[in-house]
Amino acid sequence: MDGVALNPAPKAAPLRRLADAVGDISESRYWAWYLLAPSLVLICAVVLYPTLWGIGLSFREMRLNRLDLGTGFVGLKHYQAMLDDPVFWLSLRNTIVWTTGAVIGELALGLAAALLINRDLPGFRLASVLILLPWFLPNVVAGHMWALMLDPRLGVINDLLVKAGLLTGYKAWFADPDTALASALVVEIWHGFPFFALLLLAGLKAIPQDLYEAAAIDGAGAVRQFRHVTLPQLNTIIVAAVVLRVISLVNSPDIILILTGGGPGRSTLVLSLHAFLKVNKEFNFGAGSAIAVLLFILLMAFSYLYVRLSNVMKD
Amino acid sequence: MARLRNVSSMSGRKRIGDILATIAVAAIVAFSIFPIAWTLLVSLKPEEDIVTATMSYIPRRVTFENYIAIWTRSNFPILIGNSAVVTTITVALCTIVGTLASYAVTRFRFAGRRRLMMFYLVVRMFPAVMIIIPLFVIMRGFGLLDSRLGLALAYATFLLPVFIWMMKGFFEAVPADLEDAARIDGASRLGAMVRVVLPLVVGGLVATAVFIAIGAWNEFLFALMLTTSTGSRTWPVGLQLMVGEFQLPWGSLAAGGIISILPVMMLFAIVQRSMVRGLTAGAVKS
Repeated sequence: MDGVALNPAPKAAPLRRLADAVGDISESRYWAWYLLAPSLVLICAVVLYPTLWGIGLSFREMRLNRLDLGTGFVGLKHYQAMLDDPVFWLSLRNTIVWTTGAVIGELALGLAAALLINRDLPGFRLASVLILLPWFLPNVVAGHMWALMLDPRLGVINDLLVKAGLLTGYKAWFADPDTALASALVVEIWHGFPFFALLLLAGLKAIPQDLYEAAAIDGAGAVRQFRHVTLPQLNTIIVAAVVLRVISLVNSPDIILILTGGGPGRSTLVLSLHAFLKVNKEFNFGAGSAIAVLLFILLMAFSYLYVRLSNVMKD
Repeated sequence: MARLRNVSSMSGRKRIGDILATIAVAAIVAFSIFPIAWTLLVSLKPEEDIVTATMSYIPRRVTFENYIAIWTRSNFPILIGNSAVVTTITVALCTIVGTLASYAVTRFRFAGRRRLMMFYLVVRMFPAVMIIIPLFVIMRGFGLLDSRLGLALAYATFLLPVFIWMMKGFFEAVPADLEDAARIDGASRLGAMVRVVLPLVVGGLVATAVFIAIGAWNEFLFALMLTTSTGSRTWPVGLQLMVGEFQLPWGSLAAGGIISILPVMMLFAIVQRSMVRGLTAGAVKS
């Protein structure tokens, strides 16, 4: 009897006791680091460790279909082979065309959409939601929707262009090396411009109205207000959006893989797809890793330079 | 009089501007949603209306046979199930781990805090192909290749940093005073976080989790590389593999696409406002 009376917190509430114990730990000096630990462990396990592994892999031999070659250290062999390969240089060129084309197109269309929707007319709130939809669609569905719309026999876009008199007959957009990359760009711009529209619209709404009033008093027209008030105020957002977008465009071969697989010939082969095919088609993990590592270095250099230059221009 | 005319011409010019803006916005909206609308139309057409010499815009006969075909005569339900499992694990992982981390970087001033946020941002910039290649080898070693848990872990590489950055915006919006008041009333740090802060960010938490869920649901490249059988294959990979070399099952593909984007559209519609707020905060404040 006495024992029970002396023990007012019986087993009934182990959760409560656990909460109290963690509550005590939460008063410790290192609490912030305890909270951060799971995320750091996870990121080290699934990003940093594989990355170091991948860098190491780029100096070694590893082919899943030629296990007889072993996994020995081969030094810069893969890098040497990569630089000697004309396909590498072609896909580097394609990557530059693809990325600049997409970013310019998406920024231009996104800025236009944001400026227009910022006027706050009836129905524009709904419009701002509707134009975001492409961004949330998966690459696979987006790719096949457009492949069907641009199909040389069944495509609605060919039909519309012929009816409008812009085209004399149906065209195989993705089969012609001259139009394949441009057609893929249209799809990519459709998919990516909402990202710019979203960020730029938020930026436009944050610009203080009195800046425009002051500019108007100084006699600035719409164009000069845009150049001297709107653009400088959007500068930070444009920099952030362009860097993020360039990174994901350079990194992701998805939409090109689905639309053209790099063809016809190699007219749409970009570096990320080149690396992916080295692994997925040739099972050459070492060579694929070398391309991926180079891609990473290029991207880091780009991000660093771009952010630096934009800061210089702002000052 | 002159002044009056001036004003009316000003408002006239404004009205013309408004009309032009409305037309332009309508055109952009049409460009955005036309492919989706077209896919819906195609999914409702019988095969002979899709593969036809003369383009038919409106289906002559509305049919659900494409939906029935893909749902009953392929492994699409299994693929959708796999995607649901992978998405659930990813969201659970990111929500638990990410909420703790995001709260910590928002509330505590410790040395290296800014550098840590930059670290999370840089992690997100690592090329997918660069991570996938070694991940394939490592996961094969751990027996995680071709498993739904392995795929969910891989998704954490690019979704966890986004989660932390997005949630940071929502945590910052909670005044620190509220927490201090709870602590004066005797709550522990943990108690203040769970009982005071978390209820206030629940809206943002849901929006962020939905964004993560959409990302995991839609992901293609990791799934293509890291899954090899129907035991763990997700729907985007399955849909891609259905595309034959010569005969394209356009009707079924369109139906499969509509089925798979439906949950995305519904979730987005529900949390659209707070998701947009979180996305802009996360992206712009970097």
